[in-house]
Amino acid sequence: MRYFRLLALFLKSNLLMELEYRANFVAQATLGVVWAGIAFISVAVFFTQTEALGGWTYEQALIIVALSTIIEGAIQLMLQPNVARIVQMVREGTMDFVLTKPVNSQFLATLRYARYSGLADIAAGVGIMLFALGRAGYAPGAAAIAQFALMFAAALVIVYSIWLLMAALSFWFVKIDNLTELFRALFDTARFPVSTFPGLVRILLTFVLPIAFMTTFPAQAVLGRLDAAMTIVAVMLAGLLFAFSAWFWRRAVLSYSSASS
Amino acid sequence: MWKKYLALGKAAWALTVEYRAQIVIWMMSSILMVIMLMVWLSISRDGDVNGYSSADFVTYFMIGWIVRNLTAVWSSWELDFAIREGRLSPMLLRPIHPIHSEIATNWVEKLLRMIIVLPIAVTVLLATPGVRLTLTPLNLFAFVLSVAGAWLIAFMSDYLIGMLAFWTTQTSAFIHGFYGVRLVLSGIIAPIAMFPQAAQDILRWLPFPYMLNFSVDIAMGRTSGEHLLLGFAIQFAWAVLFVAAVWIVWKIAIRSYSAVGA
Repeated sequence: MRYFRLLALFLKSNLLMELEYRANFVAQATLGVVWAGIAFISVAVFFTQTEALGGWTYEQALIIVALSTIIEGAIQLMLQPNVARIVQMVREGTMDFVLTKPVNSQFLATLRYARYSGLADIAAGVGIMLFALGRAGYAPGAAAIAQFALMFAAALVIVYSIWLLMAALSFWFVKIDNLTELFRALFDTARFPVSTFPGLVRILLTFVLPIAFMTTFPAQAVLGRLDAAMTIVAVMLAGLLFAFSAWFWRRAVLSYSSASS
Repeated sequence: MWKKYLALGKAAWALTVEYRAQIVIWMMSSILMVIMLMVWLSISRDGDVNGYSSADFVTYFMIGWIVRNLTAVWSSWELDFAIREGRLSPMLLRPIHPIHSEIATNWVEKLLRMIIVLPIAVTVLLATPGVRLTLTPLNLFAFVLSVAGAWLIAFMSDYLIGMLAFWTTQTSAFIHGFYGVRLVLSGIIAPIAMFPQAAQDILRWLPFPYMLNFSVDIAMGRTSGEHLLLGFAIQFAWAVLFVAAVWIVWKIAIRSYSAVGA
């Protein structure tokens, strides 16, 4: 309960800050929509030449584009600003102020900041989703929606865990900008059905960097084409990754010796 | 002038070698091209796509990768930073326009990139059966000339956007946005020939295809005769326009520029 109150407080203080820098908000939000358009075009262009991409039709593939845009928005909204702050705090030694507070350090370090312009990406993603469903004339049933909700929640937990792992690495390596850049570069694969890629890449994107669990599988759930067993796998994977990243974070914090000591 | 560039180049080389970790970052920006190539190959497996075989796609993206690395620009970031932090003031006191040091840095860094990019690209091209390149001396000359034009358009348009920092604090959003538009319209994500015909007809008159697609088409022998000449004419016109715009905007901006603390 206390944590919910804190979270609400964080969100409010961030909102006040965002209102101070309105030009920045407008610029970043516009940029989010432009990049959503670029993601859209970079998939749509294939369908001027083909009927299907990895077995997915135009409308179906757009659901994947929509999900990748929404997750990109979530990263912009919460993960990127907080992880950037963690890296900065570790470098400058101000991490002490987080660790000495009487709240869970992972909670405080990863949910403290929000950049509301990420909501523009999310809105654009929802727009693409509605466009795709409308064009296909398809409305998912209750079972599909429930399964999708589970899959998408798992996807968000997976993304969060990966970013937490990267943040924890900064305790040892200080500069992890390259790592988050690498993640973002590889995340460009998320807007395509994983079946588009050649065998080895497909395996990597499913089991090593589980991008398939972030967009392709949840999109299959929307279409009502995902095995129930896969949902269980996704939820288990999300739980395992979350537990591992939280454990890894605690280890990282323990090894942290602040800048001045 | 050449002596000045030599001196600037030496200084830039020292800096580039010092910050070679940055190379990791730009290698990553190449990942997008690899991803797009893989997706194109997934559909060309079943037969030619709009006249492109699988080997043609590999050729397009490898030559495109080389051209992209030869036309990579980032002085807008430096300029934005220099203007906002007031670091531009000491640069203005030098007897040489700050753009020249940016150009020298840019060229020197190209050398370093080619040491890595060329061997990889050539190996892939040699290892791919069915690669068709038009390598006559005349065509090679046209290719080199078009890359020079592409660099000029890319560098000057980027510098122009960097100069927005004289008037706004949101330059980074413009830089990112322009970068994204360039990804799509210059042919980095797909050969322009894959776009709908109506889009191609419009794009032909915009500067974007002349930053990448035009050069790759020349190397692949896909543009020749009067198309080639018209292409060069349009490219040249845009290059002149951007150089003039940079020159004029700089004149206007510098008159009203007052940096932090000045």
